[in-house]
Amino acid sequence: MPDIAYVLYESASGYALFSVNENEEIALKSEEVQASINSFDRFGKVVKLKGFMPFKSAQSALENINDISDGIVHKDLENFLELNLPSKKSSKKSKAVLGVSDGRLGSAIQDAIDFPCKTGDVVQEITRGIRLYFSKFLKALKDGDMEKAQLGLGHSYSRGKVKFNVHRVDNMII
Amino acid sequence: ARGGGSGPGAKFVIEPHRHKGIYIAKGKPEQAIVTKNMAPGESVYGEKRISVEEGDTKIEYRVWNPFRSKLAAAVIGGVESIWMEPGSKVLYLGAASGTTVSHVSDIVGPEGLCYAVEFSHRSGRDLVNMAKKRTNVIPIVEDARHPHKYRMLVGMVDCIFADVAQPDQARIVALNANNFLKNGGHVVISIKANCIDSTVEAATVFAMEVKKMQEMGIRPLEQLTLEPYERDHAVVIGVFRDGKKK
Repeated sequence: MPDIAYVLYESASGYALFSVNENEEIALKSEEVQASINSFDRFGKVVKLKGFMPFKSAQSALENINDISDGIVHKDLENFLELNLPSKKSSKKSKAVLGVSDGRLGSAIQDAIDFPCKTGDVVQEITRGIRLYFSKFLKALKDGDMEKAQLGLGHSYSRGKVKFNVHRVDNMII
Repeated sequence: ARGGGSGPGAKFVIEPHRHKGIYIAKGKPEQAIVTKNMAPGESVYGEKRISVEEGDTKIEYRVWNPFRSKLAAAVIGGVESIWMEPGSKVLYLGAASGTTVSHVSDIVGPEGLCYAVEFSHRSGRDLVNMAKKRTNVIPIVEDARHPHKYRMLVGMVDCIFADVAQPDQARIVALNANNFLKNGGHVVISIKANCIDSTVEAATVFAMEVKKMQEMGIRPLEQLTLEPYERDHAVVIGVFRDGKKK
């Protein structure tokens, strides 16, 4: 069975790619996963930040989250993955697999860049750990930066939903 | 602290409640639970505000009505812990227009965060407007059944509060817990019996929901009904993945 060698993490401030230490992946499936996630020292040995691409602007963050929530590969994501994942030739030999949280996005990525993707419990557990320690992995991120990005993007995403809903029933014109 | 209420001559004494971030306003003859207003000068849903002088500064509190908020009803009902306090991060499912969310925002304060998820666009609009004045509320107009749609907006949280009034509520909570709730974090779930199953007795519905939670890795800690504020309503509180046996 191919190993999950990489995990994609989508944050409010940008895309991040993590590499997963193959030998440690087994441990993630077992009971030890709890212990490993409970300490950054341990988790940081299993999972390492390989690349990060911040969104260029609030507008670009909004376009990206709209695509991500619909399971669509935005051009930014495609470029980011092509830049950070090993080239097709070497990856075919190594059978490396990219872990993606959402299955629909996974198959869309597979179609777009021809890199095998996988979802499931292991990916979910690794993603929990990344979500918990994300600001520790990204040294450039200061305390509160991630929350600010979430706040700004939460507002623009939600405003968009409220504004452009075609099924809206309460748009009476008086 | 002593201060004037909204009406002329109405005097209130503010005392901290057993739950951190909640206060008791003692007046004559009335008494109410209140939270410290994160956005002084504003009411969110027409609730009464009480201004109190503490030293040189004025602090404003907002009255929290148990008839309008199930969380307030649980607090007055004597719940052991609501698992949110100043600095906590809370994922709130079923935020509606944000009346209770605004009090959660007061409780967790400037160091805390409340991710507020609401699917209805009508309520969502009010929620977004309320959140404009409260920078610790992140509004998310999206379906709580699909946490992957809003995964970019949410960090790991200490507590999930759910008031979604859907038959598959337990599953919705579990999906969100698996994505966003810390190991050892807590869930506080409001259950409206006839939203789950209107053909059996409320107590039976509550027991069924507790069983579902257990199957999903949530160990129940306490349960209380919300009489006299709500009929056939219960709040169930549990802990997620605390490493102990069910």
